[in-house]
Amino acid sequence: MNIKVFEKLRAAALINDAELTAVKTAEDQQLFSLHWEIKTLLYLGVLLLSGGLGILIYKNIDTIGHQVILLIIGVICAGCFSYCIRKKAPFSWAKVNSPNAFFDYALLLGCLTFVTFVGYLQFQYTAFGTAYGLATFIPLAVLTVSAYYFDHLGVLSMAITNLAAWMGIAVTPFQLLSANDFGSVQLIYTGVILGGLLLLLAFISARKNLKKHFAFTYQNFGAHIIFIACVAGMCVYDAGWLAWFAFMAVIGFFIFKEAFRERSFYFVLITVLYGYIALSIAVVRLLITTNDIGGVYLGLLYFIGSAIGVIVLLISLNKKIKHASV
Amino acid sequence: MLAYNSQTLDNLEIQEEAEKALRKNCITVPTYKAIEAAHPVNFYTPNPVIKIGLFILTVVIISFSLGLLSLMAMDMLRNEDGFAGLCIFAGLVCYGILEIFIREKKLFRAGVDDALLWGAILLICSSMVIVGHISASTVCLVVCIVTVLATLRFADMMIAGVAYLAFLGFIFTVAIKLGPVAKTIVPFLIMFISITVYIAAKKISAYHSSRHYKHCLTIVSVLSLLTLYLAGNYFVVREVSNEMFDLQLQDGQSIPGAIFFWIYTAVIPVVYLYLGIRKKDTVLLRTGMILLAAIVFTIRYYHSVLPLETAMVIGGLVLTVGAWALIRYLKEPKHGFTYAEPEDPSLADKLRLESLIIAQTYVPGAQPAGNDVQFGGGTGGGGGASGGY
Repeated sequence: MNIKVFEKLRAAALINDAELTAVKTAEDQQLFSLHWEIKTLLYLGVLLLSGGLGILIYKNIDTIGHQVILLIIGVICAGCFSYCIRKKAPFSWAKVNSPNAFFDYALLLGCLTFVTFVGYLQFQYTAFGTAYGLATFIPLAVLTVSAYYFDHLGVLSMAITNLAAWMGIAVTPFQLLSANDFGSVQLIYTGVILGGLLLLLAFISARKNLKKHFAFTYQNFGAHIIFIACVAGMCVYDAGWLAWFAFMAVIGFFIFKEAFRERSFYFVLITVLYGYIALSIAVVRLLITTNDIGGVYLGLLYFIGSAIGVIVLLISLNKKIKHASV
Repeated sequence: MLAYNSQTLDNLEIQEEAEKALRKNCITVPTYKAIEAAHPVNFYTPNPVIKIGLFILTVVIISFSLGLLSLMAMDMLRNEDGFAGLCIFAGLVCYGILEIFIREKKLFRAGVDDALLWGAILLICSSMVIVGHISASTVCLVVCIVTVLATLRFADMMIAGVAYLAFLGFIFTVAIKLGPVAKTIVPFLIMFISITVYIAAKKISAYHSSRHYKHCLTIVSVLSLLTLYLAGNYFVVREVSNEMFDLQLQDGQSIPGAIFFWIYTAVIPVVYLYLGIRKKDTVLLRTGMILLAAIVFTIRYYHSVLPLETAMVIGGLVLTVGAWALIRYLKEPKHGFTYAEPEDPSLADKLRLESLIIAQTYVPGAQPAGNDVQFGGGTGGGGGASGGY
């Protein structure tokens, strides 16, 4: 806090001496927080460690015995999990704060090494049979249980990524668009199912108070996946695009209502933006059918006018949700 | 000079300070309300999330308006010069609208104004590139002048950063044209300018009259610390001189004065960290942390001290154990440092950014082995396939 500002406020008699003193003491006792710096170091450490171990194993498969490798990973994994089980606070469906900062990263390391462990078992011994699904399903189950049992949002995100991978979609944030071929019809349907499932989970956890703070993460992945799948549907289907448009409108309405209920600007914004994209695709599709240069002018005018309209809409929505959370 | 009312900016700062004091329970709610009423702020600043939306939509409007303009003026735009002229015209229109919005609608960091400002600067500056026969140093100079003027008028931190980089670009492009001696001293020239700018930014930010530019000065000081390091980093110096000055170095060959640059590469980040901890300066501390990674990268690029995986495991162990030790050490605050979370809730926290980063860096399991149960096998998608097990 800026002491000079408060001294001026004192001079203007807006605060009293006691309050000025309180501000000064608070400022004197202000500590320099290294929270984010240390967290970043820890996270980098865990990433390097698990990544390095992965490569180490991959390269030395022929020289060290398989059992030795399995043992090393197993020991690290078991060590992390046993540390977490010893330190954890009792389970509750409400938010449980982690007992200490190291806990979160120990759990993360445990989960990452577990995934490596299962992957290695499968690669070397085909321990889970040729049915590929099982080898992905076991990490998925363990990650999900860990996320709930230890209350860890990062592990929950990993579980969601794993669920999507199991269903055949890459939902890694920066690869959502590049790694998937949304031209394929199957992928669009899978996206709708996955997105719907995640939205349902978000809805349940928010309404039934089952780890309510997980709802944001579920809804975030779910909304993006289902919207992108719908937009892809509108682009791919030449005949049925109108049905996709209608479906998207229904989904959008639902997410929008939830967002208003939760006072979440973030979801209001993405619903409005995806809705705008869908509307624009519809307009462009209609304009293409006119097959005339006038259509191009009309399209450009549409984009300028509609974007202004959406800006006005967003500003008025901003006024409606006064005390928004995000 | 500044487009915004200075009194209102002051009021905004007072309100922000009062809010902090309220959060720490130093002042009461009625006091806070009184302070708020005595210092009215009539700026329009929406929620930060909405701001992003407004920014995107304004970019859409600017792009399609440009498209419409070029379509209508198709006949007049017979060559690049015509299009460059159109860009300058569109940039000036953006600027005009920006001024009107700020004066009439009191927009302040509202997304719309940021997009218009960026649009104006990009359009005006890109016209020079479109024309095509303007030298790099002139481009840098014009970009620098435009962005400096824009910074003075709108106090936008990103644009202040661009202005600093354009200035360095101008110095660099001029210096390398001056001959062999100038080329040799370019790294030192950049170092000298960087440190001068850093000290100047520190000095200026102490003045009361520079208070509305404090974010600009912060970004400039971060960038100047980075350029101060990069100007003497072995990798940058070697590769840039090789590329620009045709040294034709072979692999393993070194540049003149390599010892100096190697020491510089390794020492500066540590100095930053030390000063950052000594002075409790977040800017120095975080820059130092980022640059530690630069040391590792530079050394590993030229000398494979350890195989990658061993280096990763050892580095990971060192970082994890070190961070763990630091947390233990700071359990009770020591020397004014603490591990406790800062109290101001950040946007990154609210959007669960951390969990997204974890998801981004996580590669789920083994890759499909290419058997018949790969997904997308039927229209039932994921749900259908799970039944097979």
